[in-house]
Amino acid sequence: MESIFLEHRERLLRFLRARGAGDDAEDVLHDVWQRIANAPDGPIAEPLSYLFRATENAMRDRHRAAHARVNRETNWADSGHAPEPPPGGERVLIARERLAQVNAALAALTPAPRVETIFRRFRLEGMGQAEIARDLGVSLSTVEKDLQKAYRALAELQERFDAE
Amino acid sequence: MTSPLPPEMMEAARGWAIALRDPAFDDWDGFTGWLEADTRHAAAYDAACDTDAAVVALFSTPAPIAMPEPRPAPSRFSRRWVAGGGAVAAALALAFVYTGSDPASAPYTIATRAGVSQTIDLEPGTQIVLNGDSRVTLDRERPRYASLDRGEALFVVRHDDARPFIVDVGAAKLVDLGTVFNVARTDEATRVAVSEGVVMYNPDSDAVRLEAGKSLEVADGRLTVRSVSLDAVGSWREGTLVYDNALLPQVVSDLSRSLGVAVTLSPDLRARRFTGTLAVKGSPADVLPRVAPLLGGVASSNDGGWTVSSRARP
Repeated sequence: MESIFLEHRERLLRFLRARGAGDDAEDVLHDVWQRIANAPDGPIAEPLSYLFRATENAMRDRHRAAHARVNRETNWADSGHAPEPPPGGERVLIARERLAQVNAALAALTPAPRVETIFRRFRLEGMGQAEIARDLGVSLSTVEKDLQKAYRALAELQERFDAE
Repeated sequence: MTSPLPPEMMEAARGWAIALRDPAFDDWDGFTGWLEADTRHAAAYDAACDTDAAVVALFSTPAPIAMPEPRPAPSRFSRRWVAGGGAVAAALALAFVYTGSDPASAPYTIATRAGVSQTIDLEPGTQIVLNGDSRVTLDRERPRYASLDRGEALFVVRHDDARPFIVDVGAAKLVDLGTVFNVARTDEATRVAVSEGVVMYNPDSDAVRLEAGKSLEVADGRLTVRSVSLDAVGSWREGTLVYDNALLPQVVSDLSRSLGVAVTLSPDLRARRFTGTLAVKGSPADVLPRVAPLLGGVASSNDGGWTVSSRARP
């Protein structure tokens, strides 16, 4: 693993810079490698893909942490006191209502129920696109197009949620 | 918050978000190239992932707790213990840890491949031992919370009255009252067994109090409380499986999870039961031929898996 890491270090750094790490690219990569080097050994099928994946996950973590910090600071500035999350019960009710809308939007995608089935298998059950295509007897590009369609519809729905 | 990104850029970003989500994705140079083509692409991609995470988080909204049938009367309680169970193990190439969340919480998921268990330390004195082919969702913002998405886990929880440890299992909720307990979740049933302390099952509705030495099974909407040998709780960690009058399909799916191979049961054995202890340390080829006769059958290997049947296949 280490030799693969060293061999592809520049590629990973280039990815990190393009991904928005900027001057922190070296630091992020260092952290990623520390974590991998300290993790218990296990057989890894595609070490290079694994390194990229871990690097991408680290960038997503950074993005989330930054996002959460901005939210906290904004709330603090807005209200002048510690932010209060909405009561748990109310939050759950809103989420249930939204989930019902998501389910309805998925069910309405045509051809039904293929698009919905493909989305659920891919995104909620973690099946790969090739496996889904084989399973349903459709082409890989059909799976891709259906997923694109489902993601687009859900993005539009999420935009409406954000505006509420 | 920021100026809106062009729709076709967001479409491309969603395309990459979909592609990267696939376990087989390996076009990292293509992705790098796309990111380099426009400095806004990284933000577009993050926005696509945020949206995806926010939508998917909705799917883990706790459903209203519904028990389709009333709890059986105490006279139905019987002395038997059923451990484990589950879908046939699908061996993953690696233990895959990925993250996904809305910004308010920080959930992440840990999944194990079949045959490999993993210990997760949450805070001092509190850990989860995840059995093979199992998955939990945890939350960095909530160290006293776990959701067992599938499979089986042993929870060792340092009790804190002010901060109860909560485990979601589908629509059901478990609250520890000072505790070591085991939870197994399959498509058909949820089983909880307590070896130390007390666990509360669905405190707001069923409010079933499970003390050490008790197990609870919910299947087909029916909730049954039984006694369990204290040694049996989480015994899979030590490489033994302990049963008291368990149905063979459950025994076989436990074997599958512990050994990391698909093990199927011939239909004529499905209604049989087993009482006793099975040692499952070793390779499938060591364990299954030895264990199958104890279950009243014979083990044979087939394409990448094993079958336990009442007769050897010709």
